[in-house]
Amino acid sequence: MTQLALQMTQSSWTALAPTLLLGLSALALLLVDSISPEESDSTLLAGVAGLGSLAAAVTTMVFLFGGRGLPTEQGGQGIVSLFGDQIVVDQMSLFFTFIVASVVTLVVVASSDYLRDHRYKAEYYTLVLLASTGMSLLASANSLAIAFISLELASLPSFALVAFLKSNKGSVEAGLKYFLIGALSSAVFAYGISLVYAATGALQFDAVATAIGEGVQTGVLGIGILMIVGGVAYKTASSPFHFWAPEAYEGAPAPISAFLSSASKAAGFVLAFRVFLTAFPVDVAGAAIDWVLVFQVLAIVTMFVGNFAAATQEKVKRMLAYSSIGHAGYVLIGLAALTGGVDQSQVLGAGMAHLLVYGFMNTGAFLFVALAEYWGVGRTFEDYNGLATQAPLACAAMTVFLFSLAGLPIGGGFFSKFTLLMATVNSGTWLLGAALIINSALSLFYYTRVVKAMWIEDPADGLELDDYPVGLYTAVVAAGVVTFLLLPGFDVVIGFAESAASLV
Amino acid sequence: MMPAEYYLVLSAAVFCIGLFGILTRENALIFLMSVELMLNAANINLVAFSAQYGNLTGQVFSLFTMGLAAAEVAIGIGIILVLYRNFSDVNVTDATTMRW
Repeated sequence: MTQLALQMTQSSWTALAPTLLLGLSALALLLVDSISPEESDSTLLAGVAGLGSLAAAVTTMVFLFGGRGLPTEQGGQGIVSLFGDQIVVDQMSLFFTFIVASVVTLVVVASSDYLRDHRYKAEYYTLVLLASTGMSLLASANSLAIAFISLELASLPSFALVAFLKSNKGSVEAGLKYFLIGALSSAVFAYGISLVYAATGALQFDAVATAIGEGVQTGVLGIGILMIVGGVAYKTASSPFHFWAPEAYEGAPAPISAFLSSASKAAGFVLAFRVFLTAFPVDVAGAAIDWVLVFQVLAIVTMFVGNFAAATQEKVKRMLAYSSIGHAGYVLIGLAALTGGVDQSQVLGAGMAHLLVYGFMNTGAFLFVALAEYWGVGRTFEDYNGLATQAPLACAAMTVFLFSLAGLPIGGGFFSKFTLLMATVNSGTWLLGAALIINSALSLFYYTRVVKAMWIEDPADGLELDDYPVGLYTAVVAAGVVTFLLLPGFDVVIGFAESAASLV
Repeated sequence: MMPAEYYLVLSAAVFCIGLFGILTRENALIFLMSVELMLNAANINLVAFSAQYGNLTGQVFSLFTMGLAAAEVAIGIGIILVLYRNFSDVNVTDATTMRW
């Protein structure tokens, strides 16, 4: 009997292994740094960070294929809930932990070259891993308290990372703006939580839903839910809290832009999915506020703002920043199309699958910008002229990323946008589908500008690259290969996404 | 016992004062103080309704909020310090090298 109980505790603890791996490798980095602070061996530090995050990504994959987080009735090993239901490990949390861990792996590998001349490398990697610990914890949060704490654990290191280039005015300005809006929105989020607590007397998601079902003060609850929408909109860089994104992504070191725009956005969305489907299910919370309608408005506004602003940019990094806002709008369809009677697993699963594909293609695109910054070729579209004559492999990968982001069938982005479109069709939200099509067509215009500059335009005089950094190349090419492989392998992704979405 | 609605009004007032400070003041340090006010408005609600409902969830969460507020200020002061070194001022409207 005791043995059985022991086994059970062990198996439930091991469900958190990916999150623990990320956190422990952050601590291991601090240890390595304190043993030999003078040497600051970039390979060793990047190796520890890379191995830790890779191990976390592999563990989540093993868990997912091994049927963890799936109820036993469906042939899985059961959903694990820990600490009195405060943390839950189901397929959705594993799915999002996989996105975060694989993005971090790519970012860490790329950073080993990007940081070659910088001090404080150990702190950099530690902060990246701590932020990713917060993001993967956010994926498992089953209570507003854990959600707030892990949101802050994800945000606070990110503020420091954006301002990492201390003597670079752009980086400091970006860090300041990111911090100001971040602090404001976390205060709004906290106040929203306190109002929900005032109305329901509970913070745990299921308990909140039960309390709402029994009847509460809808006014207080409605304002609380709206404020929580604000916190989510900030984290996912959606309108109306997207103003920090272009500044922060442009000023930050490019690997950090990749990290924030992919992993951080995914973490924000998993928070939204969980809070709104578990704590405020639309059939009970609809009396206080119709959040599906709120998300429909947000999705359409975000898509148009992101894509139209991206089309007018002169700098590649800033264009990618606005395009990442546009993609937040696409993923919001996963919530906005949840009208009555629609198949939840299909709509939500489409949003989740798009986030995974987006994680690889967007990280890759920003890491290509990191490569360009490493070479010092400049930031505008014209500066990329003729890069393909010097670096055809990296430019081919960048072409895959950009066309996949636009939704052409050269990478997984084609199928993920297609499933999103199908979700809008099946739920009868024609307006969302139309906005998706219009904006995808528009996005092809500005993505093609980069491709044209790289492959067709003549290189500027004296454009010669003599240094091909191994780490950055590895990360860009690996992201390119995965993006391409997600085209034939999309069935696996959507399979896990839909099964995870049906559980929430 | 005082009706719980009074606490809601108090916390809403504190929250609005904080928001007003953020929107009107340009000094980054005053910005930090205003954010603290907003977070403490949340704490008032949490503690008041914790007593109202007779469970400790809200009180415990308000302790976490305080801890996180302190951590946030630590990061904020660090960023304001590098802001001062680069722009020789702590005015949040000075840092405008990027424009959309």
